[in-house]
Amino acid sequence: MLKTVPYRPSRTSKEIKIFWISLLFILALTQITAQTKMSPPEATALRKEVKNRAEATTTITSDFSQYKHLDFLENDIESKGKLAFKAPDLVRWEYIEPFDYSVLFKDQTLYINDDGNKSNLDVGSSKIFKQLNQLITASIRGDMFDESKFFIEYFKKGGNSLVYFLPKDNQLSEIIKAFHLTFNDKAEVIGVKMIEPSDDYTKIEFANRKVNESISDAVFNQ
Amino acid sequence: MRFLINSICLLLLIGCKSYPKRNGFEPTESRLMKIENPYFSDARQDYVYKATINAFDQRLGGLLIIKKIGLEHHRVVFTTEMGNTIFDFTLQGSDFKVNQILKEIDRKIVLDLFRKDFEILIKEQAPVTKSFTDGSDLVLELNSRHKKHYYFYVDNQLKKIARTGNGNEKVSFLFSGIKGNIAREIRIDHSNIDLKIALKAL
Repeated sequence: MLKTVPYRPSRTSKEIKIFWISLLFILALTQITAQTKMSPPEATALRKEVKNRAEATTTITSDFSQYKHLDFLENDIESKGKLAFKAPDLVRWEYIEPFDYSVLFKDQTLYINDDGNKSNLDVGSSKIFKQLNQLITASIRGDMFDESKFFIEYFKKGGNSLVYFLPKDNQLSEIIKAFHLTFNDKAEVIGVKMIEPSDDYTKIEFANRKVNESISDAVFNQ
Repeated sequence: MRFLINSICLLLLIGCKSYPKRNGFEPTESRLMKIENPYFSDARQDYVYKATINAFDQRLGGLLIIKKIGLEHHRVVFTTEMGNTIFDFTLQGSDFKVNQILKEIDRKIVLDLFRKDFEILIKEQAPVTKSFTDGSDLVLELNSRHKKHYYFYVDNQLKKIARTGNGNEKVSFLFSGIKGNIAREIRIDHSNIDLKIALKAL
């Protein structure tokens, strides 16, 4: 005779239930943080917003944290500093920790102050590094949407916009594989990642950004 | 004529004096059979230095990063402060591999210079050929790439390495601010060419 056993969820089925709930939760979470491609109208809107914001910007001051990642190191190399920008092209980029070092972009020249040793004949005088440094400062405003110089890809990520810039210039692409710029919902740059051909990278995060407040000219003295 | 010959002989004799003799070192018995350099020997440590290279009236600043990957295996990377790689070398045993180098300094003469300097900087152990003392400190001799190198130990700490040629000091490696097995400051000075490297630990 066949015995009927009342159905009782076994431990295994409970585990399966927990598994499904966790999976749904993870999927929901990744939906929030996932990186999805922008549609062409969304990309155009972002470009326009960044351009408008850049044009309306006369000064920027900000703190930054820099993380140099090399695959073989235990820890990223961390440094901190401040930047000041004044339209059209004055930029002071200054490291405070763990060393004193500043670069001033003025009159198409790079002035370097390395812990009191002043020069303008550093590696910055190399054409390629000059180009690179100009790109870093262009990225502060975010306005580097130049399709003659870059292959550009647009993504959305958790309320922010993420834009990949892949250099077309052979000389530049030998040094930098891609720039990744992260914009917040106000179309301000909040992070820059420079990826080298080896996949090692330098990540810069901006904080305490202040826009259009007056900056003394003395900040841009050598 | 005899005076001239005598003078030449005398000059040759002085010229041939070895580096230890010139510096007043006396041969000594040492229980140390190997030179030891502990400053880049810990594979768990990321060695990061703020570096200044002064060469031929040019000044190049950046970060020098050294990592021990395994036995006789190191990576040596030099980047700008902003993080762009200037050179990236792998030194493994007697092999030297260039992983990346900025085109503008990719010259055989530059690579040879860096190779020789970094090989000595990271060499942890090697057999001693002779031992000397100047009365208080110990000086150990090492042959590397047919050049005599002298390791100066003060209170059992490695303070200096001198690479010599024809009995003269050609390159000196100076270690200071020593804490445990870390040298907080390192200088590499070339006396026959205009090249000086100064390193400060971060």
